Amino acid sequence: MGQGESIRAILPGRLEYRDLAIRLIASASKLVHAGSEDFSNEIVSAFSEALNNVIIHGAGSTVGEVEIEIELEEDRITVRLKDFGTAFDPRTAPAPDLESMPESGLGAFIIRSFTDEVTYTSGRPNTLSMTKRAARGISR
Amino acid sequence: MNFSREDTGIETALTIEGVLDALTAPEIRPTIDSLVQEKRLSIRVDLSSLRMIDSSGVGVIVSLYKRCKAFGGVVRVDGLHGQPLAIFKLLRLDRILGE
Repeated sequence: MGQGESIRAILPGRLEYRDLAIRLIASASKLVHAGSEDFSNEIVSAFSEALNNVIIHGAGSTVGEVEIEIELEEDRITVRLKDFGTAFDPRTAPAPDLESMPESGLGAFIIRSFTDEVTYTSGRPNTLSMTKRAARGISR
Repeated sequence: MNFSREDTGIETALTIEGVLDALTAPEIRPTIDSLVQEKRLSIRVDLSSLRMIDSSGVGVIVSLYKRCKAFGGVVRVDGLHGQPLAIFKLLRLDRILGE
């Protein structure tokens, strides 16, 4: 893999395409840090919640398409999720009380916990950017 | 997602395979409701073939745990690995529901 390579995909903003989008992130994450299952699991989990937020909470059927942009660097992956639904900045969601074992309201916490940097810009489109750094450099 | 339920005496084995997420969680909710309504006392949730879970899926498992606990039932989760294990650890559920 070269430096700063990127992947873009545009998918319908529907749950039926969730698994396809997640498989894309999972495969891309392995290019950054092959052999690190934790790295892949965590960025996949964060992306999964972000996609849920857009599709389920971002005005439902009016979301239309979502754009996924993946940037692969030597030691990190950045995933940008762009949508045209209702804005939701996961950085502003309150932290859950884990001791009470909440059944909902966990998505933003998972996003923040499993990534190193989160930025959000509302507008047309809304853009959520999540960066995760690998513990070591690329291994292939 | 595929799931199955097997009752043996007071024990119930609930096996969930594949992906338990916002798309598939509604499919298993009626079974969860049935287990609670029947007041099953001992439920083992086998997630050894679960590949992926999200917060919606976690909500299903936690709902089962809490509702069963309310009438004195016990829910245990077995076989966590990979991405589902990472989520359970983050949410501090592995020590409560784990093996």
